[in-house]
Amino acid sequence: MMLSLMGRVFNSRDLIAAWTSRTIRARYQQSALGWLWAIIQPAAQVAIFAIIFTLFVPVNTGGTPYVVFSYVAMAPWAFVASSLPDMANSLVANMSLVTKIYFPRQALPIAAMLARLMDFGLAASLILVLLVYFQVPVLFQAWLFLPVILGIQMMLVLGLGLALAAANVFYRDVQSLLTLVIQLWFYASPIIYPVSLVPERLRAFYFLNPMAGIIEAYRDVLVYARVPGMYLVTSAIVSLVILVVGYWFFKRVEFQIADIV
Amino acid sequence: MSSRIQFEHVSKKYKLGLTRTSLPSVISSRLKRGLQRGASGNIDRQELWALRDVSFELGAGESLALVGRNGAGKTTILKLLANITKPTSGQVTTRGQLSALIELGAGFHPDLTGRENIFLNGTILGLSRQDIKRRFDEIVDFAELGRFIDTPVKRYSSGMTVRLGFAVAACIEPEILLVDEVLAVGDASFQQKCLKRIQALVRNGTSIIFVSHNFYLVRAICERALYLEEGQIVERGNALDVIARYERTLHQERAEKFEGAPRAQTVSGADLEITKVQVVDADGNAADALPSNQPAQVQIHYNAYRDVGCVSASAHIIRSDGLTCCEMRTSLDNVQFSLKRGQGVVSVTLEPLQLITGTYTVEGGFLNESDSMGIVVGQSDWFFVKGDGLSYEERNGVFRPRTRWEHHNGITNGGSDGQ
Repeated sequence: MMLSLMGRVFNSRDLIAAWTSRTIRARYQQSALGWLWAIIQPAAQVAIFAIIFTLFVPVNTGGTPYVVFSYVAMAPWAFVASSLPDMANSLVANMSLVTKIYFPRQALPIAAMLARLMDFGLAASLILVLLVYFQVPVLFQAWLFLPVILGIQMMLVLGLGLALAAANVFYRDVQSLLTLVIQLWFYASPIIYPVSLVPERLRAFYFLNPMAGIIEAYRDVLVYARVPGMYLVTSAIVSLVILVVGYWFFKRVEFQIADIV
Repeated sequence: MSSRIQFEHVSKKYKLGLTRTSLPSVISSRLKRGLQRGASGNIDRQELWALRDVSFELGAGESLALVGRNGAGKTTILKLLANITKPTSGQVTTRGQLSALIELGAGFHPDLTGRENIFLNGTILGLSRQDIKRRFDEIVDFAELGRFIDTPVKRYSSGMTVRLGFAVAACIEPEILLVDEVLAVGDASFQQKCLKRIQALVRNGTSIIFVSHNFYLVRAICERALYLEEGQIVERGNALDVIARYERTLHQERAEKFEGAPRAQTVSGADLEITKVQVVDADGNAADALPSNQPAQVQIHYNAYRDVGCVSASAHIIRSDGLTCCEMRTSLDNVQFSLKRGQGVVSVTLEPLQLITGTYTVEGGFLNESDSMGIVVGQSDWFFVKGDGLSYEERNGVFRPRTRWEHHNGITNGGSDGQ
């Protein structure tokens, strides 16, 4: 089934590319700061949390500057938090197209994700700047894990996004619910606090949240210069299951979408 | 098996009123039902059969028109073919690349330029970037966009948008083309261009399914037609016969609406009343199918309440799509009638009728002597004209003049342009 998804993605790569570029162009069309927003947004959030968690309630980050500690997590989180609503909206916002022309439906949510992936790339460039500026020691062998972590993260986003896009056509509650879930999810993931603060006995349970493992892995590789631990396997399995179920659901209801008028 | 499209016993059911059930509304309706016990337990679960057991086949280079009222199932057939929706039962098979002119420019983004939108829309229709690059100039050329190609589409006129949409969809040279009432937009010359393009595609083997309320366009493009009503095929066959059947049904219905009132619409002036306008065949009988190659007579029956004196009589033949095919007027033919008190008939004979196959009506009336003011006018029932010979070959034009063909062979050209 995953092969079928990959095959379809490959066959409609031109459409996905065109739609991604349309989304990006349209987003920054009449914006003065343009793509800079991709960096400003996570940076501003990190700034406010840095004030809170270094001055008001100091958090033990293991000697790493809080800004680096948090931004390394905030940038990938921003990718999840921004692409999921976009993907959820991708079919609904283009219903006129969906009900009139046939094209591989998954192209729309996938393009929505890829357009945000570009933002992630821009936001990630600031990570490099921070690592150099704060002279964080790096282990380049561990960086080989970065594509693996990104791959797991994209499986997760894709699975959730496909399911959300399809479900949103039937029930617009999805949008409201998603806003709420993303807010809660933010605090359930180790973005502004270290995993060490999570009680030991809850850890196994805690890492069932795939974002916990993904963020911890980014942080291990980039900030602590070490190879991610076994928790990443849990994240990979959960993400894969979500992708399979999400894609299965999308395919199941794909042809009912146009019948909703 | 050479058929491109196979529709086998296809039915499509839509559920109505099931799509937007919010939890609060479900609870409140449950509560209401609980309160009024014994009320019908019938939830909003209406069903609509958009298609019922429809079968047809279409081969390469064939063209099929779908006619019928709104809601008859034409668009559902196109959607099933385009793979936008799935049949409830039955089998839809298509072979070959399919392109649909259903909603021109539906994939256009207003903020992007024409150039960017060509690539976007082309990929939506299933082309690769390479394909589009190859056809790019042809598309721009066909759309007559010229220097506007790098202008955002939101600044285009609606005509330009439509032209661009058609150009992208038609330049694909698909094996199956679905056309849904999109040629109605755009100016006449562009319509003609689109028509030529579609005809060229058919000649090159594209199979076309065409939905339009413009029967003249349908006749120009399609050999065969399906007449649908409430999701079922009422009639199938060559386009001309099917359309004639459909038009007759439409006109019959229109007439039934006026039941009780005289079937022909009449307007009465103060002193002069038109009681009937009708068209009769060579034997003087009112027929609803007149042969094109036989004489026909337009009769204007009137009732004058006083001596009206000299008037000019006039009759317009109007085609079902509103085109005035010809006007006959006594003053044009240097004829004058003087109407006396009482009833009478003014008639004009066309020898022969010459109109091509189609449905027509006649408006007949009187004008004052100097033609400057109409006095009264009346309209006949719709009547059908049947062409002679291979009538379904008649596709273009309004009338067939009496013709004589000649061929002179072996003429030597002694002029200077022969060199």
